[in-house]
Parts: sequence; C-alpha cells; structure tokens
Amino acid sequence: MNKWKKKPPDVNRTSRRPTLSGDGFGGRAGFFLARALTNIRQNVFVNVVTVGTITLALLIVALFLLVFVNLESAVENWSERVQVTVYFDKELLPQEQTAFREKITALSGVSRIAYVSRDEAFKRFKGRLRGQETLLEGVRSEIMPTSFEIALKSAYRETASVESFVTKLKQIPGISEVQYGEEWVRRFNSFLNFMRLLGALLGGFLVIAVIFIVSNTIKLTIYSRRDELEVMSLVGATRLFITAPFLLEGLIQGLAGSLLSLALLYGVYEGFLHNAGSFITFNPAASGLSFLPLEYLSGLLLGGALLGFIGSLTSLKRFINV
Amino acid sequence: MIQLHNVFLAYQQDASALHNINLKIGKGEFVFLTGPSGAGKTTLLRLLYGALTPNRGQVLVDGQNITRMTPAQIPLLRRSIGVVFQDFKLLHNRTVFENVAITLEVLGWGRADIGKKTMHMLKQMGIDSKYNLITQRLSGGEQQRVALARALVNDPKILLADEPTGNLDDANKNQILTIFKEANIRGTTVVVATHDRRLIDQGHKRLVTLSKGEIVEQVEKETA
Repeated sequence: MNKWKKKPPDVNRTSRRPTLSGDGFGGRAGFFLARALTNIRQNVFVNVVTVGTITLALLIVALFLLVFVNLESAVENWSERVQVTVYFDKELLPQEQTAFREKITALSGVSRIAYVSRDEAFKRFKGRLRGQETLLEGVRSEIMPTSFEIALKSAYRETASVESFVTKLKQIPGISEVQYGEEWVRRFNSFLNFMRLLGALLGGFLVIAVIFIVSNTIKLTIYSRRDELEVMSLVGATRLFITAPFLLEGLIQGLAGSLLSLALLYGVYEGFLHNAGSFITFNPAASGLSFLPLEYLSGLLLGGALLGFIGSLTSLKRFINV
Repeated sequence: MIQLHNVFLAYQQDASALHNINLKIGKGEFVFLTGPSGAGKTTLLRLLYGALTPNRGQVLVDGQNITRMTPAQIPLLRRSIGVVFQDFKLLHNRTVFENVAITLEVLGWGRADIGKKTMHMLKQMGIDSKYNLITQRLSGGEQQRVALARALVNDPKILLADEPTGNLDDANKNQILTIFKEANIRGTTVVVATHDRRLIDQGHKRLVTLSKGEIVEQVEKETA
C-alpha cells in the first residue's frame, strides 16, 4: 500500500558520501594537479630520470636548431651576392638613368638598384689594385664602363629565376650587356639545396630519435607503476580519474625538461658559442652566433610539453584495460 | 546478489576455463570457493568484478548484468565490490593511510571525511598506530589487513577474496577470518576462494567446490 515509504535495505550503502571534494571542473582539475604533484614527490627517481632524458634529448635538438638557424642566416648573407649588372659603354645622362631605373624596377624581383658612374667604377678598380697603382699610370676613367647594379629579392635568387629575370632585362631597348656570374649562382644554389636537404634529413632523424627515446622512457616509468594503475581500477576509478594525474605528470615532466634544456643551451651559448661565429659564417665582421629566435624557443617548450603528454597518453593506453 | 547462468569461458592458450557454471549467492551469504589449483576459482572471481567477460552465459552482480556493461560502467560496479588478493596488491611507495584512502578518493569524498573514515577502518583492523608507515615495512598479516581495510572502507556490498591467507601464518589466518565474519555480520556478501582446509573448516557456511572449471559439489552447514 504505502510502497513509497518502503525503502529497500542497503540501497544507499555505497552512495553514503558525506561531502564531495572538488565539485565541478575547477575542483577536479585542482585535485588531479595535487595528485600529479604528489605522484612526482612519491616517485622522485623515476621523475628525475624522465626529466633528464627529455632535457638531454631536447638539448640535442636545440643545439642542432641553433647551428641550423645560424647557417641559414649566413647563407642568406651570401646570397645577397647574387647580383645582376647591366653595362653601358657611355656615361648616362640623368634623364636616361631615371628612365632605365624605372623600366628595370618595373620588373618583379628587384630589391635594390644602383647606378655606377665611370668615376665610381674607376675608384673601385683602383681600390682593388691597391699597392700596384703604378699599373694605372696614364689610364683615365673613360676606359671604364658605366653600369646598373641590381640586387634581387631573396625569393628571386634561384638559378631559374635569375635567368628569366635576365631574359626580361635584355628585352628592354638599349640594354645589351648583362652579367650575373652564372656559374657562381648555379653552384651557390646547388650548395643551398644540398644544405637544406641535409638539414631536413638530420633534423628529421633527430626528431624521430628524440620521440622514440622519450616515449620509451615514459613507457618504462609507467610500466614500473602499473600496480598503481591496477589498484586504481580495482577500487573503481574511472579511466579519466586514473589517467588525468599521469597525463598532467607527463606534461609537467615535458615542460620541466624543455625548460632545463633551454637553460642549458643558453649556458652553453653564453659560455663559448656566441663568439665562435666566424667559424660558420666565414665572415670576420660577424659578431658571433646569434641565439635561437623566440618562435623556436616557444616551439621547443611546446614540443617538450607535448612530448611528455602524448608519451604518457600512448603508454597509458597499453596498461589500462578499464 | 550474485548469479551466474550457464557461464562458459575459455582462454585462448590456457586449458583452465569455466564450463557451464550455474551459481546463485544471496545477499549476506558467506561462501567459500574451493578446489585444486587451476580449477577456475580465480577466473570465477575475476568474472564477478568485471575483469573478464564470459564467452557465453550471463553474470549478474548486484542486479546488474556484467556481460552487457560498457567499459565505462565497470568502474561504477567495482565501487560496490571490495577485492583482496594473496599478494595484497598494495602500493609500496605509499603509507598505510594512503593505501586505504585511495578507495574513498576515487569515490570523491572530501579530505576530512576520508581522514575520519580511514582512521576508523584502520582502528577496526588494529593497525591504526602504523598509519604513517610505508607498507613495505609491515608484516604479511598487517599488509593483508591494510588490503582488507582498503576493500572494506567504503562498506561494499560484496567482498571477494582470492587466497587471502595464502601467505600468512595461523594466527594471522584467524584474524583475517574474524574480519571476514565481522564484515559478513554487517551485511556484506563474502566470497572467499581458497584451498586452505583449515580456513574452510573454521569458517564455512557454504562451500562450493570447483574442479576443472566445473562446480562439482555444493555443501551447506547450519552453524558457522
């Protein structure tokens, strides 16, 4: 009759929960973070090993990047020597200069254009013969040609682009003699391509090696704690409850590892690399290697954190069968 | 509380499996599962807490059909089941207190309540003075009592034990048996898999004997 009052015995036994800790997302996240920090405290050795591995692995990548970035900027410097010169056998009047200048700049790819007068050309020639000026006795500047020196934008410094630029240049009426150091441009470009290929290959292998080493280290550390995973699942923890602290731990390890590796890199850089620049650039004027730009630094930080997180995620999948 | 209907289970490589198991265990019963090694005792217990699913047949625990549960539902079932093992399965880098509190943390209890309930449980088990010790420092009997405290701290409806006294001496066996009986008196259904004859003789109310994956005998005794 009064069936609503009749309670089946024991129905609420396991749901007798006095107060719930951390309701809502914030509370849960706080709990998981606290759990992750406790885990780190309770497994100091394992964490030191993991962070150390990540640090060393990322330090290698960072050093590679540092060298690569500097090489690239050196190469960028060299490529500025890719220059097209248009010769004339007479001095151009100012109106003529302006007319040619306008026609040439109208072609795409021009970054800088400069007129070299007979006097200027003669001065340069003399400069090159320093110490042997007697050779030029009786020679006047009239023997020198005048010219336009055209520097190209970096995207137009490939062999094919330079050639097509020169073809277009020759179509301008009044321009007949054009020089651009064909052989040098060709060699420079094949060297550039070789460098890029080598960089991509080395970088690719390095990144694969780093991912392999770090993910295996994380796998071993999680393997060493599989009892914990088993006990958690025995007492009824959900997948999220078991994995979240481990994932946070991986994230923290990855961040700590990448921060440490960047600190070490900076130490190495400050210690001796920053004045070892002439080594790579072959340019005594350069002040030394420059440090990694901000994008690379943040990329390494993010990469480290992701490495820790994804390494934990994939390892956990193997050991949890909840 | 527990029902198995025509349950068949075969491991791929292993010969040990279950053949046509039919078993009913009522609320508040105290049952011993016995039989030689490889008879299927452990496999049967693993079915009951959802670590295995049968190839054929139905397994009902606390009114829920385990064979139809999704992986996400299994943890919720396990919150009403306590499990203890011969090797205790304690976390050796944590203290006695932390090992027991983990059950309540999973349930989402608040810190203060976890503290109170866990200490109360440890007191019942007679190990409250060792709450701050790493479990590795404890004797075998003490470790099993920690495992029992972890299994019982949330007052589960069912307690499953797999050879719980296999590593213990006689005095400790008696203590553990007493704890089982007390839990049973408080209303928990207890299923103990063991081939320890002494334990069965002292404690048995109902005895189910397995052999080669089949139930070969069921005996009930009036007095405990």
